[in-house]
Amino acid sequence: MHIPDGFLSPQTYLPAYAVAAGAWAWAAHGLRDRLDETTVPRLAMLTALAYGLGLVMVPVPGGTSGHMLGIALLALIFGVRLAFLSYSLVLLIQALLFGAGGITALPINALAIGLVGATTAVAIKWLLARINETAAVAIAAWLSVMLPGAIVAVALGIQPLIAHQPDGTPLFFPFALEITLPAVLIPHLAIGVGEAVLTVLIWRYAKSRKWCA
Amino acid sequence: MSPRAWLVTYLIAVVATTFVHEPALLGATLAVALAAAGGGRWKLLRRTLVAILVFNLTVSLGYIAVALWHGDFNPDYLLLVNLRVLLLVFLGMWFAARIDPIAAVSGVSPSLTFVATLTLGQLRSFERIVSDFALAFASRNPAPPRLIDRAHHAAAQGIALMDKTMAAATESALAMRSRGAFDD
Repeated sequence: MHIPDGFLSPQTYLPAYAVAAGAWAWAAHGLRDRLDETTVPRLAMLTALAYGLGLVMVPVPGGTSGHMLGIALLALIFGVRLAFLSYSLVLLIQALLFGAGGITALPINALAIGLVGATTAVAIKWLLARINETAAVAIAAWLSVMLPGAIVAVALGIQPLIAHQPDGTPLFFPFALEITLPAVLIPHLAIGVGEAVLTVLIWRYAKSRKWCA
Repeated sequence: MSPRAWLVTYLIAVVATTFVHEPALLGATLAVALAAAGGGRWKLLRRTLVAILVFNLTVSLGYIAVALWHGDFNPDYLLLVNLRVLLLVFLGMWFAARIDPIAAVSGVSPSLTFVATLTLGQLRSFERIVSDFALAFASRNPAPPRLIDRAHHAAAQGIALMDKTMAAATESALAMRSRGAFDD
C-alpha cells in the first residue's frame, strides 16, 4: 500500500515530517523503560514479520501497491506506541535497503499505516472484544488495512491539486481522488481479508503463548 | 565523511531533488550521481530500475491512458516524474550501499538502534527460513497445490517462523543482557 519516493510534493511531506516527528517523540517517550529482555525479542521478531509481509508487493492501478501490513498484529500484542515505532522502522529499512516506499514518503506512510493502522486495530478490538474476541481481532485487522489505505489514497489524490504547472500539468502524482480512492481501496477489500485471517491465526498463537500485553 | 555526514548529505539531496521540476536538470544530476557512485554504479542502477520498474510502469501507463482520454497528454511530465523517482531511489540505494544506515542513525536513540540491530538479525533468519520452506513445499507438490494446501502451508510456516525467530531473538537478548545492554 505504501507510497514510493518521488510522488509526494514537498508541500505534503515536509509538514507530514513535522507531525510524524511529534508522533515519534510521543511513541519513543520512556521507551527504554518498556524494553526488557522479554519485550525486545518479541518486538524484533514481529517487526521482522511485518517487514517480511511488506516485501510481497503487488502494484495497484492508481498509484500504489498492495501487500500485507502486520500492523494490527503488532498493535494488539505491543500496543500503539511500540507498533508505530517498529512499523516506522520497517518502512525505513524497506526504503533504505530495497528502494520500496521512500524517505520522502516515510512520514505519510508511517502516520497512515503505523499510527492510524495501529490505533484503529487497538480501538476496534477494545470496542468489539466483549461480543466476540476472534471477530473483533479480524475486524480490527481488516480496518487497520482499509483506513490507512484511505489516507494513502487521499495523500496521493490531492497531489494534482497542490502541485502542478501553470497549465495544470501535475508535478508529482498525476491522478486525482476519483481515481486513487477506488484504485487503492477496492483491491484492499480483499487484501484486508487476507490480513484479517493471518492476524487471527498468529494472534491466537501469540495469546496461547501469553505474549499479548 | 562520517556516516552521520553521509546521512545529512543524502537527506539534503533528497529534499533538493523534490524541488527540481526540470527534466534536464534531473537528468544531469543523475549523470553526476552515477559518475560519483564509482565502480558499483551499474549494479546500483540495475537494482534501482528493478525496484521502481513495475510501479513506475503502472503509473506511467495509467497516466498515458487517462491523459489521452482527456486530451491533455504531456510527455514532459512522464520524463519528469520517472527521472525524479529514478534519481531519488538511486540516491537511496547508493547511500545504503556506501553506509550502514544503522550506524548513521545510531546516536539518535540508543534504544531504537538496539531494536533495529536485533531486527536486522531477525530478517536474515526470517529470509533463510522462508527460503527453506518454499523449497520444501515445492518439492512436496509436483502438481500445482490447492488453495487449502497453500493456506495450511502458510499457517505452518508462520508458526514455525515465530518459534524459530523467537528462540533466536531470545538468545540474542539474553546474550546482550549478559553483556550489560539492559543496565542503566
